[in-house]
Amino acid sequence: MALPNRIGSTRPRRAIVAVAAWISGILFALPLLWMLSSSFRESGDIFTSQYPFSPFILWPRTFSFDNYLTVLNGPFGLAAFNSIFVTAVSVLVGLLLSSMAAFALAKIPFRGAGVLFVIIVLSFLVPFDAIAVPLANQFRDWGLTNSYAGLIIPGIANGLAVFALRQFFLGIPSELAEAARVDGLSWWGIFWKIYLPLSRPALIGAGFTLFLFQWGAYLWPLLVGTNSSVMLGPIALTTLATAQKVDFGGIFAGAVILSLVPLILLLIFQRHFTASIAATGSKG
Amino acid sequence: MGSTQVITATTNRGAGVMPASRRRPPRLRGSWLAALLFIAPTLVLLFVLRVIPTIEGIISSFQKSVSALAPPSWAGLNNYVALFENGDFLKVLGITGIFIVLIVPFQIVVAIFVALLLNETFRGRGIVRAFIFLPVAAPAAVATVIWGIAFQPQGPINAVLESVGIPGQPFLTSPSQALISIIILMSWIGIGYWTLFLIAGLQDIPGELYEAAALDGAGWWRCFWSVTLPNLRRTLAFVIVADTVSSLIAFVPVAILTRGGPAGSTRLIMFDVYNNTFVLGDVHLGSAEVTVLIAILVTITAIQFRLLGKEK
Repeated sequence: MALPNRIGSTRPRRAIVAVAAWISGILFALPLLWMLSSSFRESGDIFTSQYPFSPFILWPRTFSFDNYLTVLNGPFGLAAFNSIFVTAVSVLVGLLLSSMAAFALAKIPFRGAGVLFVIIVLSFLVPFDAIAVPLANQFRDWGLTNSYAGLIIPGIANGLAVFALRQFFLGIPSELAEAARVDGLSWWGIFWKIYLPLSRPALIGAGFTLFLFQWGAYLWPLLVGTNSSVMLGPIALTTLATAQKVDFGGIFAGAVILSLVPLILLLIFQRHFTASIAATGSKG
Repeated sequence: MGSTQVITATTNRGAGVMPASRRRPPRLRGSWLAALLFIAPTLVLLFVLRVIPTIEGIISSFQKSVSALAPPSWAGLNNYVALFENGDFLKVLGITGIFIVLIVPFQIVVAIFVALLLNETFRGRGIVRAFIFLPVAAPAAVATVIWGIAFQPQGPINAVLESVGIPGQPFLTSPSQALISIIILMSWIGIGYWTLFLIAGLQDIPGELYEAAALDGAGWWRCFWSVTLPNLRRTLAFVIVADTVSSLIAFVPVAILTRGGPAGSTRLIMFDVYNNTFVLGDVHLGSAEVTVLIAILVTITAIQFRLLGKEK
């Protein structure tokens, strides 16, 4: 018997649910589909098929990869590479540091673990962007402006990652650590050889959190990384949009490139990702 | 959308739990040093990325620069007085307030609706989910640039409107529509994000509650008000606060598309901080504004902790 929390309790109601869900999904997808189709258009087509209304609004009259070639050969190409590099390093280092902290807070018994955990979580509750402006002045004094290090450092410390990983470690029986400890394994060994391999789903979830923060960052790279050698994708994209002669084809192609990386990750990890969000949300 | 503030979601139960302190076998003593080494990198980063800039911002807000070369001198409360005496900042606070009052309820209501739909079973659910989550994963700058082109007077949205007989709208070029346009753009990103948490919350409600409701003969609507919503309270409280916080620091669309205009109608606080500090070059006035912003954020967080504390 269908429970009363199911909207789709009868056949016609199930059909309505499916139609409503698909309509909302398509509404969300429309801007992306429009962006994708526009990225293949030739420059003349971009304007003629977007206004006034024509059946070609979502389908290019002619297909060409010119926009991609042009934009990747310009400054945007280097910026896209920079974004991938900076984000990859941030995710890897960030995962290592957050899981280390999370492990100690969850599994190493020491006085004050609870207080320390609250301090860490509360401090990172202040959103980074709010203190980005005074921090940028500091980074300038420390000579970190326009360097990869300056761009990466804010992305490797993430309270949510620490929190989610700690929750996950808490769920793994402590007997494992205690037994290994008795057998003479060091804390590092317990962390590296026992707990980390068991934590794949949590690591994927935390990795995604770190990824989203760094891949989408805009204010911080605008403050410390506007030199073309370290410029990141989002900044380069807006440079295209505010240039003297706006290259709309290039903007669309660049936007697709910057969306493609998260899309691929989302497709590979979607199952793990939603599962881990669910875990974070419920086991808190 | 910053992701650091998301933690709140879930701290309520977790924060109180002290791990491993109950059944501590004697062999596991002397772990302080090990624990410290594991946590040290995170603590250093916390100090560098949160404590230092906050203190720096507060100190700088009480200073003034006489010349670019001389070290800054103390200014007492002058920066704050300047901030509040000049009507501009009050206007910024007002616009930011209106923005939040509009965007948060809108996003949450739509996100509840979408979460309820995505929690049903239907053909192609995975694809629909992907459609709704993808805007979350793409950088905010992408959404901004794409919607910026779509909102152009001779853009595709007006093309569609005019094809069904509705006159074209000015969108970002009009003081009365620019803020609403930014709300639409940011909701396109935000709704999918909050939906994610709400789906998790929905799936967390024990099935027995619905079985009991079924025995009582409750229909869907009754069940939604009496079982679903009350049990979603914790998730909702988190999502509302986190949405408020992330909307307070909204920056990208204003910085790229409107730069606060037209006629100051989209001058949100985060852009104003940026503008005062880097465009107008008044670091100390900017710092006073950052301090006010941090005070607002800390207040919101404190209220949230009290709310969550009461629920336990």
